[in-house]
Amino acid sequence: MKRTSEESQSRLPDNSALKQQQLPAYRLQLTATGVLSGFFATGVFCLGVGIILILSAKSIKEIEIKYTKICGNCAKLREDATNFDKECTCSIPFYLSETMQGNVYMYYKLYGFYQNLYRYILSRSNSQLMGTDLKDVGTCAPFSRSHDGTPIAPCGAIANSIFNDTIILSYNLNSSIPIEVPMLRSGITWWTDKYVKFQNPRSKNLSIAFAGTTKPPSWAKPVYELDQEDPENNGFLNDDFIVWMRAAAFPTFKKLYRRLNRIQYFTEGLPAGNYSFNITYNFPVTRFRGEKSVVLSTLTWSGGSNLFLGLAYTVTGAVTWLAFFSMMAIHLMLKDRKMFFTQQ
Amino acid sequence: SHGIAGTWLGEMALCAKKRPPEEERRARANDREYNEKFQYASNCIKTSKYNILTFLPVNLFEQFQEVANTYFLFLLILQLIPQVSSLSWFTTIVPLVLVLAITAVKDATDDYFRHKSDNQVNNRQSQVLIRGSLQQEPWMNVCVGDIIKLENNQFVAADLLLLSSSEPHGLCYIETAELDGETNMKVRQAIPVTSELGDISRLAKFDGEVVCEPPNNKLDRFSGTLYWKESKFPLSNQNMLLRGCVLRNTEWCFGLVVFAGPDTKLMQNSGRTKFKRTSIDRLMNTLVLWIFGFLVCMGVILAIGNAIWEHEVGVRFQAYLPWDEAVDSAFFSGFLSFWSYIIILNTVVPISLYVSVEVIRLGHSYFINWDKKMFCAKKRTPAEARTTTLSEELGQVEYVFSDKTGTLTQNVMAFSKCSVSGRSYGVGDVFDVLGHKAELGERPEPVDFSFNPLADKKFVFWDSSLLEAVKMGDPHAHEFFRLLSLCHTVMSEEKNEGELYYKAQSPDEGALVTAARNFGFVFRSRTPKTITVHEMGTAVTYQLLAILDFNNIRKRMSVIVRNPEGRIRLYCKGADTILLDRLHPSPQELLSTTTDHLNEYAGEGLRTLVLAYKDLDEEYYGGWAQRRLQASLAQDSREDRLASVYEEVESDMVLLGATAIEDKLQQGVPETIALLTLANIKIWVLTGDKQETAVNIGYSCKMLTDDMAEVFIVTGHTVLEVREELRKAREKMLDSPHAVGNGCTCPEKRSSAKLPSVLEAVAGEYALVINGHSLAHALEADMELEFLETACACRAVICCRVTPLQKAQVVELVKKHKKAVTLAIGDGANDVSMIKAAHIGVGISGQEGIQAVLASDYSFSQFKFLQRLLLVHGRWSYLRMCKFLCYFFYKNFAFTMVHFWFGFFCGFSAQTVYDQYFITLYNIVYTSLPVLAMGVFDQDVPEQRSMEYPKLYEPGQLNLLFNKREFFICIAQGIYTSVLMFFIPYGVFAEATRDDGTQLADYQSFAVTVATSLVIVVSVQIGLDTGYWTAINHFFIWGSLAVYFAILFAMHSNGLFDMFPNQFRFVGNAQNTLAQPTVWLTITLTTAVCVMPVVAFRFLKLSLKPDLSDTVRYSQLVRKKQKAQHRCLRRVGRTSSRRSGYAFSHQEGFGELIMSGKNMRLSSLALAGFGARSSSGWLEGLRRKKSDSAGSPSAGPQKPLRG
Repeated sequence: MKRTSEESQSRLPDNSALKQQQLPAYRLQLTATGVLSGFFATGVFCLGVGIILILSAKSIKEIEIKYTKICGNCAKLREDATNFDKECTCSIPFYLSETMQGNVYMYYKLYGFYQNLYRYILSRSNSQLMGTDLKDVGTCAPFSRSHDGTPIAPCGAIANSIFNDTIILSYNLNSSIPIEVPMLRSGITWWTDKYVKFQNPRSKNLSIAFAGTTKPPSWAKPVYELDQEDPENNGFLNDDFIVWMRAAAFPTFKKLYRRLNRIQYFTEGLPAGNYSFNITYNFPVTRFRGEKSVVLSTLTWSGGSNLFLGLAYTVTGAVTWLAFFSMMAIHLMLKDRKMFFTQQ
Repeated sequence: SHGIAGTWLGEMALCAKKRPPEEERRARANDREYNEKFQYASNCIKTSKYNILTFLPVNLFEQFQEVANTYFLFLLILQLIPQVSSLSWFTTIVPLVLVLAITAVKDATDDYFRHKSDNQVNNRQSQVLIRGSLQQEPWMNVCVGDIIKLENNQFVAADLLLLSSSEPHGLCYIETAELDGETNMKVRQAIPVTSELGDISRLAKFDGEVVCEPPNNKLDRFSGTLYWKESKFPLSNQNMLLRGCVLRNTEWCFGLVVFAGPDTKLMQNSGRTKFKRTSIDRLMNTLVLWIFGFLVCMGVILAIGNAIWEHEVGVRFQAYLPWDEAVDSAFFSGFLSFWSYIIILNTVVPISLYVSVEVIRLGHSYFINWDKKMFCAKKRTPAEARTTTLSEELGQVEYVFSDKTGTLTQNVMAFSKCSVSGRSYGVGDVFDVLGHKAELGERPEPVDFSFNPLADKKFVFWDSSLLEAVKMGDPHAHEFFRLLSLCHTVMSEEKNEGELYYKAQSPDEGALVTAARNFGFVFRSRTPKTITVHEMGTAVTYQLLAILDFNNIRKRMSVIVRNPEGRIRLYCKGADTILLDRLHPSPQELLSTTTDHLNEYAGEGLRTLVLAYKDLDEEYYGGWAQRRLQASLAQDSREDRLASVYEEVESDMVLLGATAIEDKLQQGVPETIALLTLANIKIWVLTGDKQETAVNIGYSCKMLTDDMAEVFIVTGHTVLEVREELRKAREKMLDSPHAVGNGCTCPEKRSSAKLPSVLEAVAGEYALVINGHSLAHALEADMELEFLETACACRAVICCRVTPLQKAQVVELVKKHKKAVTLAIGDGANDVSMIKAAHIGVGISGQEGIQAVLASDYSFSQFKFLQRLLLVHGRWSYLRMCKFLCYFFYKNFAFTMVHFWFGFFCGFSAQTVYDQYFITLYNIVYTSLPVLAMGVFDQDVPEQRSMEYPKLYEPGQLNLLFNKREFFICIAQGIYTSVLMFFIPYGVFAEATRDDGTQLADYQSFAVTVATSLVIVVSVQIGLDTGYWTAINHFFIWGSLAVYFAILFAMHSNGLFDMFPNQFRFVGNAQNTLAQPTVWLTITLTTAVCVMPVVAFRFLKLSLKPDLSDTVRYSQLVRKKQKAQHRCLRRVGRTSSRRSGYAFSHQEGFGELIMSGKNMRLSSLALAGFGARSSSGWLEGLRRKKSDSAGSPSAGPQKPLRG
């Protein structure tokens, strides 16, 4: 079989850079200058950032008070679920030796509470929380419907287990009269959560909107009574509820509860002095050997107290420099030796 | 016409149904109805696997036979169980469907081409005698029992019984190079009763029945009987034309189809194609099994953790999260969590691994196809990677098994030099050994033969002084060429006046006679009794008195002629070793100069012959002729008596000169062999050709050199002899001062750093040449190790006179015991078995037949491209594949192990760290393309460096770049990365808050942080691993990062959430999390901590223990290795060693054939009354002598032909 000349011509491979593996390219080489200067620069950067972070972490004032043991009788009471309607309060006085300058944030912190369990995290219905379809409780097992089959709103394990202690901070200006420290309960959520992810069903009256649903089994009040004073903070749009619904990554976590309203005595922050937390103890933790605490903290540019990151950076920087010097030494030694050999 | 394309592609399947094994075959000519009873295979070949209907089910069935695919199917099923499922079903099904689809498309394309080539072969036309007339029928319609007509230069379509031919006595000539690699023409003869059936009408009435052995793979034997007209006629291989042969010098012939299609000897010989897997494949499978084991271990650990956690904590936590209805105990929960973790952690062996490996190999094979430097301009054939699954194995080859004819040599003999009465003519090849053209000016013009109208235009000679000598009438020169024009067994054919064609039985003789023709001594025609030569324009007819035929022992042939003047002269040509002892002792000076010339020629690897003559007086001749007649009529020991009669007359001859014939090597063969040897690749030549020829080629391509301490030649005929010879060879090697240790021994030892040099030192000194019949013994089970040990200690091994099966056996032997990667390269059908047996088979394309190419994995048209295939493409492929695998395992361990650490913080509840979309896309989108780009394009050193420093090839042979150790290093790096990837964000998130005071450590932010730092870390790592940053690499690496962020933001966008609130739960997460300085500081720190140690480690390795490739890359000055190469390539000068490079790829018996006149047309011998001669003997003699001299072990006992 004779091939035509065109055919055989076409069998000649193209002379393109790609096909001949001749693409122009940068050959990556680990040169001594490059590597050493890279290590040096990284060391400088890490040390610098580390020191800045440590300094700013040091500037933060933070107070944490674990109140599970302090309020031991309340904890005992809550271990029995039948006592759900009995109120239990607990007051914890403390002394603030230094003024907490600037914005002060109040957190509740839980120890050993697993918000990150696989089935727990899944147990919510975003379409319900968006207010579009209150009856959509399909993903909420095991808290999707009450015994009579009424859909629960908000459904799911996360919503059911909401943190429901109330914590009020009081300032004892003088030894006698405690003043309730003004706190803001808004602005503690992400904008997207409050305005995209959570929406109340469209209706003038929330209680009507939630008709046909029932409250989660552990809740004392239905969802539309979470904050009856502020309609913007009620129903699914309740900030405390939204904060709780953003599940924590680790079994020990703190969630923002209130932030200081800087008025009256508190324009500069929290002045030093005697304070007390007045806690209505509702949330049982001793059942699963957990603990609760309340935290007051100030902030810096990088957020709250974060010594770990600063230390990690400092150590990394130090090790990088150490590596830099030893590599430099080895490099110089080898260079000398090579020159020695070539001279011979 | 091109070869029998596609016929013997792998996976032979019959068109017909499976039949019970045959015990004997019966085929009646021209009787299809009768033959149909037996349901013999038709001549139709089917290599395709599917048709349109069966494609999907069959292909899917096949794909699920792959363990990996079944494993992923199993995972998919697991994921459908809600209690166990911890990932959505799409995380597995998307990659699985992708993989299945890609493979299916590839299979479909392959099968399409198989269909095409099947069709092409099956529809090749042949002329079949049907109902009394010749009809064009496609090959596939040819049936057993049909009579078909073949024409000159056509391929034989099936195994045929030759019935008649255009030549007298039903002779026909075939070239069997495709079958057994022998280059000389073979003659086949129809049995006398059928040879008269020349015309179609008589053939149509022929109703003989052949009864013969069932199909088998023995190429050189056939036994059967023809029953016709109530007589029996024995049939032998001498009457058969086998599929794959080419008809030559015969205008037409008729044959009866005995075996068709898959039953033909050729097909039976080609063996079954095994699916070839590379060593990396096998290693990968082992590693994947280990990883499964590791996976199960992790699953068990986490499951136990889960059981304990549920027992201690979970059971108390039930107020917030009651157990699932199905779960009644912590233990059962642990059991379920085991399966959940198996699902989550399965990404350590992602399905995309297999696809990516295939894609990379596909890329590499395209590079081979596209390589301009492997394109042969002359034959217009590019290199072709016919298999796309072996590319990295090309970088690990340790043994190359090469065919000789057509692979190392061009199978072209050129009259290169000659010595005429003490003067040497000819400048030899214009290309010196290095393959460079001789410098300009030095190069002479080719001799102008225009004075001679009968000259062959294609003949070239580079020294015009010889022609001048002839023209001047130098009597020695005249006698020299007269001898060449008289003393041979060539047949001439003159279709038109002056248009001469020589039918030479061996190409050497053809070259010699053609040389004489061009120098004015034109052999014109012959009859059984005369030879007509045009001597410088005048026709002279010599009376041919006798041909003293060639045989292997005599190593010479002579003719005795009477010239027109009546003088009787004996002309003799033969091997120097033989002939120089039989010369008249007088002119000592001439003898010594000629000997010098012979040594010089032999040193250049030329094939030499010594020419001599002797005058006989009438009286002596008369007596001698009488003695010869008596000897030839003797009943017993006829051979010996004839030999002594010949011996008597061939003495006291006068030396005329010597010829040197160049068995033209393929271009660049010696350099390639030298380079491959430097790259520590051992080259074994396996040839069906004779020992002398093979050794000669060994010298000319510098496999054998005179520097060698000894060339062991093993020719023993019995087991004991062979064993003894091998033992002696080993003893010699061990005794020699160079041998520090026994070099060969085990391959494990070789991997330790020092040993190879010792081995080389030993190997450099010796070579082994072994004959086919010795090899048969050496390959027996109890001796094969001895043989292997001996052979491996030699630098060069040449096996000659080996059968196709033996070639495969040798390859299998090395494969089995050396655990080394083998490559077989060949061009003919006789190489098919070896090509299939070796790890990598390479076919030389661009030749007539393409069987070897069809069976091969790679094909190109020149042996020299092998160096580029191995040293450039193979090396790169291996490097890329290893880097790819290292990185791939690393990135998946880094990715997956994070879940393991997280398990300890989430109650072992099979919570994933990442969003499920990230898990789905990580392997197929975010990290696939950069590593693919590296796997396809990476280069460590420029291609010319791989040629300059062949030692760069060594890491592949020693398996250094990816082995179990490297694997563990990658895994360790991956686990290290995963630890940092989890614990640094954990440390940060445990305490930190966002800069607006809100919680930072929510699950979704953590997921996004870890995922982002993972993508960044593995991108930086691929950036470090990529040694060759092309635009494509840039595009893929930066593109992948960009795509990651794009998809991240898209998935976390409000729009998607509004549409599918339950599917896209991460709304707003990306912008909220990635706006935090803490998050970025965490990501930066993670990246630095993950990458810095790697950089430091690589830098230190580079400074303290650099590889050769590092050295080559970083310095331009090292030229030591190159010098060594040049030294090795230096032309071997005059040698003192004496070799008989004599040129006779010749078969005994042709002299007798000529003297009987059997092969001449009746018209041309009308005058010659030769009938008196007993004509029975020659063919039998031809056959017997051949089998004796070949001694081929598979040539079993044969029934003598009575006929």
